[in-house]
Amino acid sequence: MVSFILITSMLVSCKKFIEIPPPPTSITQTEQFADSTTAMGAIVGVYNYNPSTGFAYADGNINACAGQSADEISYTTTNDIQQFYTYTLTGLNSTIPTLWSSPYKGLYQVNVVINSIDGNTNLSPSFQKQITGEMKVVRALYYFNLVNLFGDVPLVTTIDYKVNTHIPRTSVATVYKQIVADLTDAAQKLPATYPSAGHLRPNLYTAMSLLAKVHLYQGAWQSAYNEADSVIKLGGYSLEPDVNNVFLDGSKEAIWQLPAKQSYYATADGRNFVPSYSGSVPQYVLTPFQLNAFETGDQRLQKWIGTSVITISGVAKTYKYPYKYKNIAASSTPTEDQMVFRLGELYLIRAEAAAHLNNLQQALTDVNAIRSRAGLTASTADVTSQAAVLAAIMHERQTELCFEWANRWFDLKRTGTAAVVLGAEKTGYTADAALYPIPQSQILLNNLLIQNPGYQ
Amino acid sequence: MNLNLCAKVAFVKRFSATQIVKVMKLTILLITIACLQVSAKAYSQITLTKKNTPLIDVLNTIQQQTGYTFFYKAKLIANIDVDVNLHNATLQQALDQVLDDLMLTYEVNDKTVSIKPAKISFLKEIKDKANKFFAGPSDITGKVLDSAGRGLAGANLRLEGTDFSTVTDNNGWYHFNKVPQGTYAIYVTYIGYIRQEKTIVVNGKDLTINFILKGSSSPLDQVQVIGYGADTKRFSVGSVSTVTAEQIEKQPVTNILLALAGQAPGLAVNATTGVPGSRVLVQVRGQNSLDNSPLSQKPYDQPLFLVDGVPFATQNANISQLSSLATLSRTNGGISQAGGISPFNNINLDDIESITILKDADATSIYGSQGANGVILITTKKGKAGKTTFKLNVNSSFNSEAKPISLLNTPQYLQYRKDAFAADAATPTTTSAPDITVFDQNKYTDWQHVVYGKTSNNTNVHGSLSGGTNENTFLISGGFTRSDFNYPGDYADQKVSLHSAIHHQSIDNKFTVNFVADYGYDQNNSPAFGGSSALLLAPNTPDLLSPSGGLNWYYKGFNLNGYQFYNYLKQPTSLQNYNLNSSLHLVYKIVTGLTIGADVGYNRNTTASNSQNPAAAQTPAYAPYVTASFANMIAQTINVEPQINYTKNIGNGLLTALVGATYRKILNFSNTTTGSGYSNDNFLGSINGATTVFTSDASNIYKYNAVFGRLKYVYAQKYIISLTGRRDGSSTFGPGRQFGNFGSAGVGWIMSEERAFQKALPFISYAKLSGSYGTTGSDIGSAYMYQPLFKPVTSSTAFQGVSPSAPYNLYNPDFSWAVKKSLNAALDLGFFNNRLLLNATYYREREGNQLVSYPLPIQTGFGNVFENLDANIQNKGMEFSLSSTNIKTKNFLWTTSFNLAFNRNKLLSFPNLAASSYNSLYIIGQPTSIIFGYKYKDVNPQTGLFEYYDRNGNVTSAPKYGLVANGGDQVPIANQEVNYMGGFGNTLNYKHFSLYVFCQFSSQNALNYLSRVYNTNAPSLSVSNVPAAIFGNYWKNPGDNAMLQRLASGYGSVAYKSASYFSQSSGVYDNDTYLRVKTVSLSYALPESWLKKLSIQSGSIFLNAQNLFTITNYKVGDPEQPGDFTTFPLQRIIGAGLNLNF
Repeated sequence: MVSFILITSMLVSCKKFIEIPPPPTSITQTEQFADSTTAMGAIVGVYNYNPSTGFAYADGNINACAGQSADEISYTTTNDIQQFYTYTLTGLNSTIPTLWSSPYKGLYQVNVVINSIDGNTNLSPSFQKQITGEMKVVRALYYFNLVNLFGDVPLVTTIDYKVNTHIPRTSVATVYKQIVADLTDAAQKLPATYPSAGHLRPNLYTAMSLLAKVHLYQGAWQSAYNEADSVIKLGGYSLEPDVNNVFLDGSKEAIWQLPAKQSYYATADGRNFVPSYSGSVPQYVLTPFQLNAFETGDQRLQKWIGTSVITISGVAKTYKYPYKYKNIAASSTPTEDQMVFRLGELYLIRAEAAAHLNNLQQALTDVNAIRSRAGLTASTADVTSQAAVLAAIMHERQTELCFEWANRWFDLKRTGTAAVVLGAEKTGYTADAALYPIPQSQILLNNLLIQNPGYQ
Repeated sequence: MNLNLCAKVAFVKRFSATQIVKVMKLTILLITIACLQVSAKAYSQITLTKKNTPLIDVLNTIQQQTGYTFFYKAKLIANIDVDVNLHNATLQQALDQVLDDLMLTYEVNDKTVSIKPAKISFLKEIKDKANKFFAGPSDITGKVLDSAGRGLAGANLRLEGTDFSTVTDNNGWYHFNKVPQGTYAIYVTYIGYIRQEKTIVVNGKDLTINFILKGSSSPLDQVQVIGYGADTKRFSVGSVSTVTAEQIEKQPVTNILLALAGQAPGLAVNATTGVPGSRVLVQVRGQNSLDNSPLSQKPYDQPLFLVDGVPFATQNANISQLSSLATLSRTNGGISQAGGISPFNNINLDDIESITILKDADATSIYGSQGANGVILITTKKGKAGKTTFKLNVNSSFNSEAKPISLLNTPQYLQYRKDAFAADAATPTTTSAPDITVFDQNKYTDWQHVVYGKTSNNTNVHGSLSGGTNENTFLISGGFTRSDFNYPGDYADQKVSLHSAIHHQSIDNKFTVNFVADYGYDQNNSPAFGGSSALLLAPNTPDLLSPSGGLNWYYKGFNLNGYQFYNYLKQPTSLQNYNLNSSLHLVYKIVTGLTIGADVGYNRNTTASNSQNPAAAQTPAYAPYVTASFANMIAQTINVEPQINYTKNIGNGLLTALVGATYRKILNFSNTTTGSGYSNDNFLGSINGATTVFTSDASNIYKYNAVFGRLKYVYAQKYIISLTGRRDGSSTFGPGRQFGNFGSAGVGWIMSEERAFQKALPFISYAKLSGSYGTTGSDIGSAYMYQPLFKPVTSSTAFQGVSPSAPYNLYNPDFSWAVKKSLNAALDLGFFNNRLLLNATYYREREGNQLVSYPLPIQTGFGNVFENLDANIQNKGMEFSLSSTNIKTKNFLWTTSFNLAFNRNKLLSFPNLAASSYNSLYIIGQPTSIIFGYKYKDVNPQTGLFEYYDRNGNVTSAPKYGLVANGGDQVPIANQEVNYMGGFGNTLNYKHFSLYVFCQFSSQNALNYLSRVYNTNAPSLSVSNVPAAIFGNYWKNPGDNAMLQRLASGYGSVAYKSASYFSQSSGVYDNDTYLRVKTVSLSYALPESWLKKLSIQSGSIFLNAQNLFTITNYKVGDPEQPGDFTTFPLQRIIGAGLNLNF
């Protein structure tokens, strides 16, 4: 009889038998955005310095890859990451997917936050405004790097996978339009003050800094000048007198830093570039071109470039490696943060914009501010020659911004000098090499993605 | 005749003495009259009491006692058992008693007796008429017993050609009411017993007719476990294969799934590696679903496993969370499944009674949404009534690599590396080529021998105690198995099992309870890292161990960090798994034919693992990063299944009905804790010594609820119909999508029961046509995925005091069951009295509405979303099996079994395939195991580069990526489907000796060794050895017709690019056909005369071997593990042992 009752009761109340309690190790999206405190979890999830579920490019690959594609560094052991150096990349390269996927993973996080905050009555209008502004800066930064690495990329601004899965590559111009729109909106929403301690989340000047860079890349010299000028004049930042302090937590120069503390290491650049022990060959070493770019007495050569001497079979060999970030271990003091924007770059943006606007004196003044901090004398460039001033700016960018956010690689490409410079220094560079291949796995999954020329 | 004699005994109980006397008198009178014509004069006095004895034996005894010679046709008296009770009887009395009612008569001539079929004599007719005149219908009563004298409940009795049929009660009694007069064949059938038939004459007297059924030795009547019940092959309409304890015990393997290889048609078994305790994958009738698998690997559905009715090891999943040799395996024969530790390690092979594989809808749809990939039922041993017996099995075996490979030796290797630099006119440097520039040029180490060359041991001890009475039986067994790793260092997989089974039946047979508890403990100690890469160390790699056993980290100032192998041996990982599986089976018989009961099962499987990276394993050149990881996993299943069974004769047929319900809850919990900053290596067994700790956990809850039913009707022992239905609810799905209905219908026709068939084809003793059609489903997935979730970001520090969280999945509330439709048709034939049995099965299975983790481009934010896919995959095939008793004499028995299966997979439809994420993986109308790539031509003798055909058929060394449809040069180049597979075994028994040889074979198109060699890039690019088969086969000079292209020394090499296409070309696929002598077992039954002195009932000694040798066309590596010759190799096991029964 017991089974009769059981069976009958099951027939009646099947639904009850398969009800399960709420998930113990996760929460729903609604719960995540229940109020401004809980929503902060998802927001710091965007800034979280974790290569797989955090800020895109926090894994440092952009510097390691673009540094090789440019003329900054080379890789010492045999690995397919060398394909960046030799311009033999294919869509099967094992590092390419991370350059593509980490910003898109990050973009989804950003889009979810924007989507969940918009019109959410549990959150105050001021909170909504603040967070939307921050997220749009992040979104703009991701797209800025994507278009510069890959060219046309799918422009995704919503969270519906049914739509997003079929988005083809969007033209660079359209993506830039979105970037500018996002940054303009962010600049309207964000206050000049930082929303939390330190410079760890974007403020108004962060939006303006990226806007300055975007305008510079697009040749909108006056806009670039204005944005950079405002940041320099109004932001309250100042150049760190000692180059050793530039990348530290709390650097006066920092416009935006990520609190770079992983469980095992401090910053990805520190881990990638600094040899794990004194006796080992660094993974990446400076090319002679980068090394020779430093002038005698340049503090940056002394303090931002590391030296490793290794003796094999009695023969000593010296290796130079990027040493802007010095910590490998997470527990090191003083703490370094991963720099996203700093005043030094803004000086050089203003300089370049000024030079193009024929304000050559202003341009050299900005260059000299950077040179002076590096312990160098004023630039000897002919102040009457726009070309000479621009060359001095490029040279300064090469030594000041090396190994940072693919600046050198992007500079060579955007100024149209890649073919000349790289063609002279290295073999294998072709016009097609200016854009990286889209990961083949992604083309498999979305056949609307057409591979870049040269990789087909 | 025995019937009468038995009847007399019974009459004493049930009728009055006077009645008996009357009946006896009448009988004797009639017999006397009937026999007047017989001229026999019997002088001898015969005394004989026998029960249920073959007639021939009785006649022989009478012959001995009287001296008369008997003549008869052997056929006439074959298969007749009689009961006799003679005391000083004459020959005539004896023969009358023995032969009467057998429709036999006799004639005595001189000293000979001839026995003939009885002609119905005139007197007999009178007798019959008299009977009819004197009396009306009779009642027939009796008991059906097994050979031990126990009443068999639920046996089916029938009077042929009438509507009279009944089922025995709890004690084996049956009763027919008012059977009209006449001569009938009465027969009894009972699952697992030989059908018995007797001819009876109903003449108005009430009859008592008892049956003693003999267990059938015919495979047709072997009881096989099916979903929620048991059945025989004879009356089954489903596709069911059974592997018995006998087949399992002969194999010296330690995982029960390995023992299934080749044994059942349509069941593929894949060992992921040869690591003791590693996972074994099984698949029934091909792949049903698409998967987000990488390019060169096949997805692999796995069946539902049940141990004594309790769901076990969901998806056969890996139970280890930390790295070990078992998890490090690379390609698993081209299958996209991770390696790891098998959840089946805890089950001792010696505790298994049978393993049943349910394949078609008739057999699996009773499992509804869980049966789509087939069902494997594992049944453990139960106690047997009788004398208390202790069985002991001890064996020990040696393991070695089943198919070793040879790699380049030092001179060959150095030549090969130098050739690579010479090809590019490049100069080797200390960083790019320390092997040429720094290492000793004369040193040689055979790393293959160092890593896998050891011969290791397996030890297995198993003892079991069983016995009991008819009402109560018990079995207790314990086992210990230790399998050493065929790897340097002291690593082993050890298991301890404790199994018990008790059975109780109430005296009135109304209530039955069975309880099984199976406890297992498995400990797997392994290095956390190492293995395959060490195999490919340069043969002149400097000594990595110092003479004192320490690790060498430098050689002439060169850091050996990237070459060290022995440090892995100092990074131990250990796994301890505890498994408790208990099942309670209760049955209560309400009335004859109707029972209620319940199966209650509980399984708890817990795993604790620890992995250590001590300072001692790390290079002393920099501060050590000392870590230890701890992982725990708990999986728990509660399963309650109340059931009602009903058996009734309706018309001329037997109806069995089952109604049941399932309540199931599966809880999974796991956590991992990693600690770092230990000050001392000796603290690594505990988290307490860590300065920094990171923890993460995961949990999953699954609830499942169903009602199910089955109706089976067997009409006239000829026509079978079987209907199954199930309604399922699963918590995996979102609101409104939780319930699904599944069902099947099966029919069978035993043609050999038809008179016309018997006449036309008398040599066919059994013939059955059967078919089924039905649906099953799949609800594989994880909980909560129908809503968008956020999870905390693990191993990350808080951001300004706020813990970060991140989206966990994409939002899709709509996914639901996958549905598979299966069609099955089978022909079963038995020849020569079923000594040869053949089965041929055709099946066609189509799975639609596929439930998949649908791959998405990362621009959506995630690589996958859980989704139903409107694709339809068909698996269609034929399966054949044969079992034959070739020779059977007193001393010699030769039996053969054979099975063969062909499966053909095809993507039937896929709406909008071209726009989907699968556009480059599948083609409609082609198998889903198809691989796209470049069509390889050969090596250009002039340039020395690999050449491929482009989409226009032109030759190029730089084919274009992408399918032809997308402007590329990739075409289907291979189909990794298994073309055919099967096995055949022979058992030869001669007196005390028994020899069993089992071979397994398979043929497919698979990755060859070059796929590993060219896996990521050109082979000579790094300091790494290659198989000797490569040496001298690469291009060197213009005009060479070489197998492989010129070597490359760096990424700038001209040969680099053309090499990168090779691993995606048809050049890395080959036919992989093999026949492996899987098992050889020779046993010798020890003579009883010896054993008696030691008070041992029986015993045997045996030698057995697994993977003894292989015949194959596969070049380098093991054909069973294609694609990666560096994976931990499968083992050849040779062992010896002893079995004793006390």
